[in-house]
Amino acid sequence: MAGALPDDRELALQILTDLRGPRVAAAFACGGLLALAGALMQTLFRNPLAEPYLLGVSGGAGLLALLGMAAGLAWPWISALAFAGSLLALSLAAALGGRLLARDHTPLLLAGVMLAAGFGALIALVLSVTPAERLPGMLFFLMGDLAWTAQPVLLWVALLLATAAALALAGRLDVLQLAPLKAASLGVAVAPTRWLLFILAGACTSLVVAQAGSIGFVGLMVPHALRKLGYSGHRILLPACALAGGSLLVLADALARTVIAPRELPVGVLTALIGVPLMLWLLRKP
Amino acid sequence: MSLSATGLTVETGTRKLVEGLDLTLEAGEILGILGANGAGKSTLMSVLAGLATPTQGSITLDGIPLDTLPPLARAQHIGLLPQGDEGGFFGNVLDFVALGRYPFGHAPSDLAPHLSQWELTALARRAFDTLSGGERQRARLAQLAVQQAGCALMDEPLTHLDPAHQARLLAWARSEADAGRTVAMTLHDPNWAAGHCDRLLFLHGDGRWQLGTPAGLLTPDALEALYGPGTAALWQLKERGQPV
Repeated sequence: MAGALPDDRELALQILTDLRGPRVAAAFACGGLLALAGALMQTLFRNPLAEPYLLGVSGGAGLLALLGMAAGLAWPWISALAFAGSLLALSLAAALGGRLLARDHTPLLLAGVMLAAGFGALIALVLSVTPAERLPGMLFFLMGDLAWTAQPVLLWVALLLATAAALALAGRLDVLQLAPLKAASLGVAVAPTRWLLFILAGACTSLVVAQAGSIGFVGLMVPHALRKLGYSGHRILLPACALAGGSLLVLADALARTVIAPRELPVGVLTALIGVPLMLWLLRKP
Repeated sequence: MSLSATGLTVETGTRKLVEGLDLTLEAGEILGILGANGAGKSTLMSVLAGLATPTQGSITLDGIPLDTLPPLARAQHIGLLPQGDEGGFFGNVLDFVALGRYPFGHAPSDLAPHLSQWELTALARRAFDTLSGGERQRARLAQLAVQQAGCALMDEPLTHLDPAHQARLLAWARSEADAGRTVAMTLHDPNWAAGHCDRLLFLHGDGRWQLGTPAGLLTPDALEALYGPGTAALWQLKERGQPV
């Protein structure tokens, strides 16, 4: 790597502190938040296939962000629109499917999946009427890209706060893996805890989507893999997700920047390319 | 420990399942609850456990209204074995059983006797979702047993168990009752009910209920009134008069 740096040490240092450092920090925080959100969603829905974007968060964020891009807005506005879009998707999912959360999570799941499908169709509509020169930026957003991420400090504060909040719920989350009636009989307030999970996972995901687009796979694979490796208790699982998710995304982003340098790949492509074989190998384990 | 229901009416939707039930579960007794599918046995269990609200009436635990107890305090006294599986549980058998101590807020000191009791020692490190149906049921029973609640409510605890483990369950229920705890369970076999329950509650599914001793309630006519014409012959009651 040293050979790739410019000779001018001052310039190299500046690149490290102003560009690479913040980006690596942001990548770690984004990956950690996504994996944490994935673990919370899997516990909320008692399903190892649940992931942060299950309820249409990426669709809502993507739609508004793309509309902003189509209108030619600058990045801070795109980011704000993406955040608003993800909150819109979550609010709609909660309003449409959240009524019976004490007993049954299926209505919330169905509402979220329907919303995701609807947003997906609208995104396709926007893409199909957008002039070709604007498409690459949109595609990078949809696949996830850390090039625009401007607020690593905000992301890190969020990661630390979210991990602490999730850890405070860890004991309850262990019980919440049981059937709702059983969990309630052990003294867990099922509906309030599920709402807390929904809000916490939604906040983590919305923040990342607003900063870096829809980076896929980290939120599905990392918690699933860690559970598969035997870390099923939430006291270990949740901080492990934050660490492993962060590490995976740092690795994926480093590859995304370098494999076809000087051009970059969307980091979501790399998370999937690293994650899919790893996951398939893990699934073969007894 | 005694769990009392007074004037309890339970409805689902527009259907009245139980009307005006007065029932006190005394320490040291096993109550068997019988009724056809959909008669309201499970719903009544949830209500007695304080997890569902009755249409009318009240439930008290040693004289304290159940709905005034905080969830964790309630869980320290009342354990429920609901029907249904634990498909969303990702951990191993030991983790699963240990959750029974959650209401007491600390890790269980020694689960080994409970694992041994339910023949789970060799399965302790197995992933819960790799267990067979009967093994899962034993893990669920062990989880209930480590809770050591004064009142154990079990909804079809015999499900999935082989005869040896059914006998083990019934012996455990008796030992719990002998230790001064209260046990109530739903079951379908009048023979088990006759041999292992001190009192029976028949639910007819239309609001009517009958409470009495096994000898008083387990007649061919009463069973046919409960389950439908011709059903008493299933247990050869016509010939023997009483279940075996």
